[in-house]
Amino acid sequence: MVEEQNYYKKKLQEVQKHTELKENAEEKRWRDTTLKKWNEKTDFNEKEYTNSSDIKIKDIYTSSDLPADQEPLLGISGEYPFTRGVYPNMYRGKYWTMRMFSGFGTPEDTNSRLKYLISHGETGLSIAFDMPTLYAIDCDSKRAEGEIGKCGVNVTSLKDMEVVFDGIDLSKVTTSMTINAPAAVLTAMYFAIAEKQGLDLNKIGGTVQADILKEYIAQKEWIYPPEAHLRIIRDMMVFCTKNAPKWNYISISGYHIREAGASAVQELAFTLADGFYYVDMGIKAGLDPNRFAPRLSFFFNSSINFFEEIAKMRAARRIWATVLKEKFGVTDPRAQMLRFHTQTSGYTLTWQQPLNNIIRTTVEAMAAVFGGTQSLHTNSYDEAMALPSEEAVKIALRTQQILAEETGIADTIDPLAGSYYLEALTNEIEKEAYRYFDKIESMGGILNAVKNGYIQREIAATSYRRQKRLESGEEIMVGVNRYVEKDEKPINILKISKEAEKIQLSRLKNTKETRNVEKVKKSLDALREAFRDEKKNVMPFLIDAAKSYATIEEISDVGREIYGGWKEPVIV
Amino acid sequence: MEGANDNLRKELLAKLYQYGGHSQVVGITGPPGIGKSTLIGNMSSLIIKSGKKVAILAIDASSPYTGGSLLGNRIRMQDQLWENKIYMRSLANRGSKGGLADSALGSVIILDSAGYDYIIIETVGSGQADLDIMNLADTTVLVLAPGLGDQIQAIKAGIMEIADIFVMNKMDREGAYFAMKDIEDTLSLDENKEFRREVIGSTITKSESYLELINAIGRHREFLDRAGQMGKKRLDFALRWVLEDELKEKLIDPIIAKIHSNPKNASLKENIYQEVDFIIDSLDIRGLLKKI
Amino acid sequence: MVDGKNQLLFKDKPIKILLAKPGIDGHDRGILVLAKAFRDAGMEVLYAGLLPTPEEVVDTAVNEDVDVIALSLLNGAHMTVFRKVAQIMESRNIDDISLVGGGTIPDEDKPELEKMKITGNYGPGTPLSVIIDHVTMRAIEARERKLR
Repeated sequence: MVEEQNYYKKKLQEVQKHTELKENAEEKRWRDTTLKKWNEKTDFNEKEYTNSSDIKIKDIYTSSDLPADQEPLLGISGEYPFTRGVYPNMYRGKYWTMRMFSGFGTPEDTNSRLKYLISHGETGLSIAFDMPTLYAIDCDSKRAEGEIGKCGVNVTSLKDMEVVFDGIDLSKVTTSMTINAPAAVLTAMYFAIAEKQGLDLNKIGGTVQADILKEYIAQKEWIYPPEAHLRIIRDMMVFCTKNAPKWNYISISGYHIREAGASAVQELAFTLADGFYYVDMGIKAGLDPNRFAPRLSFFFNSSINFFEEIAKMRAARRIWATVLKEKFGVTDPRAQMLRFHTQTSGYTLTWQQPLNNIIRTTVEAMAAVFGGTQSLHTNSYDEAMALPSEEAVKIALRTQQILAEETGIADTIDPLAGSYYLEALTNEIEKEAYRYFDKIESMGGILNAVKNGYIQREIAATSYRRQKRLESGEEIMVGVNRYVEKDEKPINILKISKEAEKIQLSRLKNTKETRNVEKVKKSLDALREAFRDEKKNVMPFLIDAAKSYATIEEISDVGREIYGGWKEPVIV
Repeated sequence: MEGANDNLRKELLAKLYQYGGHSQVVGITGPPGIGKSTLIGNMSSLIIKSGKKVAILAIDASSPYTGGSLLGNRIRMQDQLWENKIYMRSLANRGSKGGLADSALGSVIILDSAGYDYIIIETVGSGQADLDIMNLADTTVLVLAPGLGDQIQAIKAGIMEIADIFVMNKMDREGAYFAMKDIEDTLSLDENKEFRREVIGSTITKSESYLELINAIGRHREFLDRAGQMGKKRLDFALRWVLEDELKEKLIDPIIAKIHSNPKNASLKENIYQEVDFIIDSLDIRGLLKKI
Repeated sequence: MVDGKNQLLFKDKPIKILLAKPGIDGHDRGILVLAKAFRDAGMEVLYAGLLPTPEEVVDTAVNEDVDVIALSLLNGAHMTVFRKVAQIMESRNIDDISLVGGGTIPDEDKPELEKMKITGNYGPGTPLSVIIDHVTMRAIEARERKLR
């Protein structure tokens, strides 16, 4: 392994050379004659063009905006550094997976939804949880009142998970669970169900998000201080590498970072910095990165500035492959590949004139396809307001189908490669990402930069700047600050019934009355011991606790006793 | 309406002042980001647990341009406040010395009359306004941390003299030992001080250091009680503040207005000093001093 | 907007506002933007941090003597949680602090929130100037009740 202290600084100097402009005689001649004359004759807009990352956009790009050695920076699809895509034949082999996020209300609601999807041929299930579950708060807690089943399904104990997966053979599906702070607990529950179905864990495939660093950065759903969560995730990595090799234990997510107001460069830089941290953590836990890195996948946002998004995704692949190879000594190409899921931007959806959101989502979905995504969720037009209605979800799915099967944009691999603008922008975004890596390294790494609030403040500053640009009209949102309509008619949106709360409360009451209290206590005591002993792996103890029907809050409280909570640094 | 309210306020404060005199006002100051709020939060929790009452006044800076401010100190100790039901009030310095002094003094008088054992005032310790606030305190604690370099030098210059207790925070940091030694050396030069000033090393994770600080604050109180100095600074502060305020409003402002309104004073530029001398002489200060 | 008389009302004491998300909800992009916008509009801004309880929000507002509490939620629990805040205020006879709301609040919920004297209830995309004007108006009401 090549360990260099100032790797990112050296790298920054290297990629900086790719963005140095050369004199182009032809461009200069054009500027001084044709363009100048034209501008004198016509109204010329002097405004400065920039994108979300504050990168200045030139009026025209030419070959001199690219370095002489541009070709090796691209490579060919399926080959290092994977700028043009991770698979040799890309969408000719297989379209991206059209994965629509679902789950709401009671476990029963979600179970029938999953069965409906399976009966229509879907084998990749995706589950969203409600806020109490995401924070490991039981449904009978005072704090959970009014929140049950609102943003996803409520899971308080293994009983609920048994209902979610009732009648579903876990060896025949893969399940993606969007959960972070209690990711190991939900994984434990899932494994417990597999065991009850008589399945060996090495047959079980799926994904948990478990990207705790971005929680501190953006989504703010945590239970313990960062180090405690990281230890649990490390244990999950080690346990799964050995026992459940098809389980993807971290989905490194830029999506939420972007939604929190970050620019494209910030999303890219902070997400990859998180990723490097997990790679380092795995290596320090004694795992071989050639073996575990393929289990790390990414999740990016596709926002509205078309070329900026495509450039970001292409730069992401190049940076990941390069750093894994050069800094972490990863040699297996499969472990150098950055594979990612994309969701179109929720930030760009508007309440006003909601049907316009279909157009925004289409453009963003196109960017994800040109960016070479492995799977895609398209937002529904009503998602700015609530969980999507069935009709809206259908249009969102159809959008992807039209892009894939009618437009021809997926007919050839990485069709925009070689565009002066796109390649120059890719190089520029890559450089800005390395600038952040260098800065983060100088602060003692991403964990420190998150704990002292630097990353969060960077994002809040960008977010406020954008809001001010919207206020001043420098940035346009149709229907919001231009082409505004008065007295818009409200659209129909999905309402979650209060029934979910009642059903969950009564199930929990029943579970608590019927479970073996002694067994619960014993499993939690054993878990406590494991938490206290750094050398023990907590996963088997979490599985035992789940099987005893200890609740998500009871299980997490064991950690709360030992690690305490976490208060974020002051951001504003 | 405004005037009537103002008079009512003064009357109330004057009455409440008589009920006070029990609280020890502790000013805690130091550069931004040094961990004052965390220190205060943890220390206050310990005080509460020992059965005493504590209230906190935290002063944040206002923007000189818009007058607005983000009162961020509260959020740093929020959990302790909620858990222990500690009273805290955030004040913005509002860019001006006067506004802050007025509201801080009023708050101290009210809290003192309400029977708090400790009233803690937190400031960033830079600028005259913050230094003035420290004149409200019976005990001034200066919080420092290793490795802040010039920032500490700037702060120390103004406040070393008036601090009674020093805290070296973040003792787990590199250079902490020498930074502490450095201050101890400076303090060893204290000759005429009747109170022996000390430096306390503090680490966020160690509750002993907070106890040590509370004890040092207690020792300073004993000293003040013995020397008959408790509450004296505050009284001086109140007197000075009220006097300056009233003199400005009832004397200085009308005089200046009068000078401006008299066309004969158009050539004031040349004889400003003479004019002021004339005014002072006509005030009969000597006669006044005899009467007080 | 703030007219002559109101200017006087806030001359020595700017509007003081507490921002809070009293539910299980970590989506803080909007509230962080608003905190800065209110500060730049000359207000004194307190932020209650993540996951405060309704009781904690009201206690803080009272201790700090704010003019306005601005509540925000994007998790769909506003009808339960905002109501709790309003009920605590009512049970303690607090009428000199105004309540405003915001977040993902469907139009159909607004009349009921208004009945609880929670006004505004703006969604994403509302111009900051509209929100600032509304908060100012509600702060004036609170300040007048304080002076009474």
